[in-house]
Amino acid sequence: MYLLIHRPKKSSKSVCRRSNIALIFVSVVTLVGCDSRIEKFDPNEVFSLTLAKSESVDMGQAQEDVTKVIETLFGTPESPTWPQDLISEETLVQTERLRRAAGGVSSEQDGTHLGLFQEHCVVCHGVSGNGRGPASQFQNPYPRDFRPGIFKWKLTDRAEKPSREDLRRVLENGIAGTGMPSFSLLAQDDVEALIDYVIYLSVRGELERRLLRISVSSLGYGEEALSDGERLQFPGDEQSKQVIVSNLERIVGQWVAAKDPDEEQRLISFNILEDDAGISRGRELFHGKIANCVGCHGVDGSGGVATLDYDDWTKEYTTRLGISPNDKDALQTFREVGAHRPRPIYPRKLKNGVLRGGDDPVRLFQLIRQGIAGTPMPGVTLVNEENGKGLTEAQIWDLVSYLHSLQDK
Amino acid sequence: MTARDSTESYTTPPAKSVHRLAVLAVCMVWPLIWVGGLVTTYDAGMAVPDWPGTYGYNLFLYPLDTWLLGPFDLFIEHGHRLLGAFVGFVAILILFFAHRHEPRRWVRILSIALLGMVITQGLLGGMRVVLSDRTLAMVHGCVGPAFFSLCVATAVVTSQTWRRARGDLNDPQHGKWNIALAASVLILSYTQGMLGARVRHILPDALPGEFTTTVAQHISVAVLLWFLSVAAFRRFRGCGDLTLARPVLVLLISITVQIALGVGTWVANYGWPGILGSSIIQAIPGASQYLIQAKGFWDSIVVTAHVAVGSLILAVSTMLILRLLRTRYLAFAAESADSDFERQSESSVSVGQAFS
Ligand code: HEC
Ligand code: HEC
Repeated sequence: MYLLIHRPKKSSKSVCRRSNIALIFVSVVTLVGCDSRIEKFDPNEVFSLTLAKSESVDMGQAQEDVTKVIETLFGTPESPTWPQDLISEETLVQTERLRRAAGGVSSEQDGTHLGLFQEHCVVCHGVSGNGRGPASQFQNPYPRDFRPGIFKWKLTDRAEKPSREDLRRVLENGIAGTGMPSFSLLAQDDVEALIDYVIYLSVRGELERRLLRISVSSLGYGEEALSDGERLQFPGDEQSKQVIVSNLERIVGQWVAAKDPDEEQRLISFNILEDDAGISRGRELFHGKIANCVGCHGVDGSGGVATLDYDDWTKEYTTRLGISPNDKDALQTFREVGAHRPRPIYPRKLKNGVLRGGDDPVRLFQLIRQGIAGTPMPGVTLVNEENGKGLTEAQIWDLVSYLHSLQDK
Repeated sequence: MTARDSTESYTTPPAKSVHRLAVLAVCMVWPLIWVGGLVTTYDAGMAVPDWPGTYGYNLFLYPLDTWLLGPFDLFIEHGHRLLGAFVGFVAILILFFAHRHEPRRWVRILSIALLGMVITQGLLGGMRVVLSDRTLAMVHGCVGPAFFSLCVATAVVTSQTWRRARGDLNDPQHGKWNIALAASVLILSYTQGMLGARVRHILPDALPGEFTTTVAQHISVAVLLWFLSVAAFRRFRGCGDLTLARPVLVLLISITVQIALGVGTWVANYGWPGILGSSIIQAIPGASQYLIQAKGFWDSIVVTAHVAVGSLILAVSTMLILRLLRTRYLAFAAESADSDFERQSESSVSVGQAFS
């Protein structure tokens, strides 16, 4: 993917002070203009390879066509576009904000910053939001790959997208204990522009994935080269258009549907009583058979349970293809196109441990109810009466009380 | 066999004015480098999109109130340009006075180089803005310290200490190994600055491996430098020559502080590295709950201090090597004078003569 982009390979490690000047001039001449603009988003080669392996097909042509379609719809890192005329909903992403967030870093006389994503996010999340920015290898967990459209820290249900408010909370509060900074010192406008850009990258990336998948599953790509009339194009024939628009509408629909619980709902749920009885009931549930939090988080949430598991972003190109995450040779081809080295995810120490998504009770309720999307942390079944199979709302609140009590000591 | 007074090699008394101006340049360039670092920290490099003017105004006529009370980005970017321009004036003065009063030809040449370099640096900065180019920003960031080091060199060779220095062949201080040690410290501290600039100005589409490699190099050189500074400290601390003993002490302290600041800079930007593994992270107090604050004030102070101390180290190592070379030169000069060899002619700039 990086072949598309000119990167200066030259390292400026010359040492002698005076001769350096000459060297620098040479490098200036050769380097200027190579990097100042990033012409293209990198295509999702890891996902293509995953499909190529799982379906035993050749993805070359599909990759080429999908990349073209995606670029027509979404533009480039320098001038992103939002396919508004294909989408009925009008407020999800505003092109004005996209333009502020995209492109190289600069600012105007009144202090307005442009190129916000490059300024604040790209070192970790990468140009296309693939979670593989230059500094990503140092992070554990790795920075989020926005393209599958899965997010961890949100009040919406596990399978849902995060709401705008969820993303805003993540940006304002950061994610303590990970590389994700708090951007609370940024101007409100900047944060809004960044939220739009994250949604843009995520919709873009998810449509790319869907089209890649569909191209092998139903458009006949992969076996033999398709003739021009059969290929996916935009704007192309009716079939192409229908496939593209329906998938786009679906993804956008999910983003639009994601809503923060409204104030009233929140207030109702606030009948949480953190009394000793509730806490000890919660403690029992934590260690009990149904919730079995203890199985992952250890006695009293003190951690130390030996588990070996991976998050969904990693599993996609490892265990789900029957490749062991430790099998370096098998992973080599994936690593070559940019996949991260698999790192296990561990259930966290909860006793005095950090709550990355915050300690808001409503949020903890959702956490227990829904689990954490993209990770092994499961949700629980909500039941109306205690029946040994799920937890009642009251019981979940008891667990919330218990989680809170673990924080205080 | 002590060397003669080195003033012998000065045909006329050297110019105090050049030395004073050079010291002034050093005092101005150091903050110029921090402010330049601050410009990068705040990504303010493009806060003023035109150059050499500022929003259509002449650099020196940009209204004071819009500058001082405007956005912080504009404040530091415009301030950086102003300070840079004043350094340019000082360089012109140095050239002028050196040509009027400085007896040593090579010092006069040095003053030309100084002016040439400040002009180059200004142009690089301007091109960086006009072309909005990040690689140029990095090159600009690399030339800065080299220029600083040249200013320090000018100040050192025009000083009284330089004149009064004596060389003694029986004195082991300026032996080959010591020179090599000091030269390595200089070369490595400059390399280190370049590596730091590379870490900082990493291109948005660079591969993670490239960044990781640069960081690994930056850390290795830091460790190496620390050991070298310990070695230098042990060699020179008791040498009896304060012009050497003081710099090595400052060097050791500042490299130690610099490493701490480097860790702080990393944490402020990227958090505690998760690759250390959770057991190590748990062992560092507060690390497992650490929250990075983007654009935090204290964080930017730490980062800027890292840049500032980095150039201080470069300055001190420049000073150290020059003084060592000076005593070495004097010792050999004294010996050759004693053994009735011809002195080198004043008009040719040879390596040896450059330390007259
Ligand atoms: C220093 C690295 C770093 C920078 C800079 C950074 N992030 Fe992140 N980000 C991360 C990491 C690491 C995670 C994953 C945290 C986790 O899995 O709990 C993350 C996660 C996220 C998430 C997903 C949260 C969720 O609920 O799953 C979003 C959205 C996000 N970042 C947006 C941004 C935006 C927008 C910026 C720039 C304004 C940014 N990040 C800058 C490291 C970074
Ligand atoms: C299959 C193992 C597993 C089980 C069972 C499990 N968890 Fe987790 N839990 C995890 C993992 C893994 C994480 C880390 C997720 C991450 O940070 O990406 C986690 C994270 C958490 C967090 C931290 C969230 C935050 O904001 O930082 C809390 C709180 C938590 N779990 C509570 C519970 C409770 C309460 C239960 C029982 C109802 C439970 N877990 C059951 C695996 C598990």
